[in-house]
Amino acid sequence: MFLVSVGRGVILFLSSIGKLSCFLAESIVVGLMPRYHWKQIGQQAVQIGYFSLPVVGMTALFTGMAMTLQCYTGFSKITAESAIPSVVMIAMTRELGPVLTALMVAGRLGASMTAEIGTMKVTEQIDALTTLSVNSYKYLVFPRILAGTIFLPFLVLIDDIIGILGGYLVGVHYLHFNAANYIHNTISSMSTWDVTSGLIKGAVFGFIVCVMGCYHGYLSNRGAEGVGRATTNSVVSSSIMILLLDCILTFVLF
Amino acid sequence: MPYVIEVENLEHSFGKKPVLRGVSFKIRRGESYVVIGGSGSGKSVLMKCILRLIKPRAGTVKINGQDVSSLSQKAMYSTLLKCGVLYQGGALFDSLNVIDNVSFGLVYGCGMSKKTAYKTAMKNLEAVDLGPEIARVFPAELSGGMKKRVALARAIATNPDIIFFDEPTTGLDPITTGVIDNLIVRCTKEMGISALSITHDVASMKRISDTVGLIHDGKMIWEGSNRDLTTTDDPYVRQFIDGSPIGPFIRS
Repeated sequence: MFLVSVGRGVILFLSSIGKLSCFLAESIVVGLMPRYHWKQIGQQAVQIGYFSLPVVGMTALFTGMAMTLQCYTGFSKITAESAIPSVVMIAMTRELGPVLTALMVAGRLGASMTAEIGTMKVTEQIDALTTLSVNSYKYLVFPRILAGTIFLPFLVLIDDIIGILGGYLVGVHYLHFNAANYIHNTISSMSTWDVTSGLIKGAVFGFIVCVMGCYHGYLSNRGAEGVGRATTNSVVSSSIMILLLDCILTFVLF
Repeated sequence: MPYVIEVENLEHSFGKKPVLRGVSFKIRRGESYVVIGGSGSGKSVLMKCILRLIKPRAGTVKINGQDVSSLSQKAMYSTLLKCGVLYQGGALFDSLNVIDNVSFGLVYGCGMSKKTAYKTAMKNLEAVDLGPEIARVFPAELSGGMKKRVALARAIATNPDIIFFDEPTTGLDPITTGVIDNLIVRCTKEMGISALSITHDVASMKRISDTVGLIHDGKMIWEGSNRDLTTTDDPYVRQFIDGSPIGPFIRS
């Protein structure tokens, strides 16, 4: 009995990977063929790149501020306060910027993608697209994946800047660091690779969030309950994938 | 080519549960064929198999003489341009207004310019008795009957040879049902479009059908003309038309 349930679980897992791979292959192959739905791509770019700015900005600001305070608590014990600007910068650009941005976008946009596509699925709007001779993968999925992959790194960059600014505000105005020294320490310890590695992570996470959002939307069935379940699965699976891939990418890009 | 749709021994199942069990029928050019049957009898699955929205397990479907299972994706899209579909709930795109919904297939399916597509869409809205004032309204602001009319305008926009109607009058009041039925009859008789309708509304079926097929438990158990409906003594047809709670449907 135990072996049967293990076997069933393994088959289910492999079948899910197979389905996801087919979904991804079809979306990308069909999406790369002309003609392109520029309007859809533009709309998704605005959704991801522009409308996510407030939530991403706030997250970055508060994280940068809290990070500086926490670092001060630890570093003051070993009189290494001067390292705080560089630690905050490295943490924001390499790790917190991409991960937090991706998690916020997964919660905001991944969920909305799943709910939108899922509702279209259960109300036969995706069937209607097909019978109007429009490939739903090309029209609905590819523009989202493309926009997510391109525009999440931009969000990460903005997140980095706001996060570092948050650290600066706390460091200079609350902990009374010298402003010129804080800025100098931040800039002098920054390398191009710190920022680039974060942007690479951002592109990968953007791709994952949009793929999972669309895939779970396509899997929706059984009305509103099914759409709700798909939305939860989408956010949970993309969050886990983000954290797992973050670990792998950190080893690769170290 | 006498037949626009030929279905032979169509079979499909969900898991181990058979839904279609060897369904066969043919629809002639200009004919209005209505499939009737109880809820869960396999009517909607039949329509989706014909349109290749679901891949059937066995059997063949030919649209305009072409076996749809052997068509490439591109060829299937060309075939689908000749098929209009009116879905049960309308399936209008929520994010688009009425005019964008009606012109959608023309712009994205046929590659028509937006300006020309809008002109055609306005004519189609007129054909279903809707005025230009509704063009910028979103589907959420429409009543059930209006949604069906907009969906019908979208279905006929690409000038199809065949229209599929999935429960066109479900959930509508008797007067709106009559209006939708008249529009369907107008499409088939005046525009010469063949139609495959799926319904369990007996009054509607009598108004719009040339030929009727009764599907039960995944099988086509009776087929006859509109006139045969009143004369047949088939117990399944009689029970379905009379709406009697006692009869072979209940026993099976």
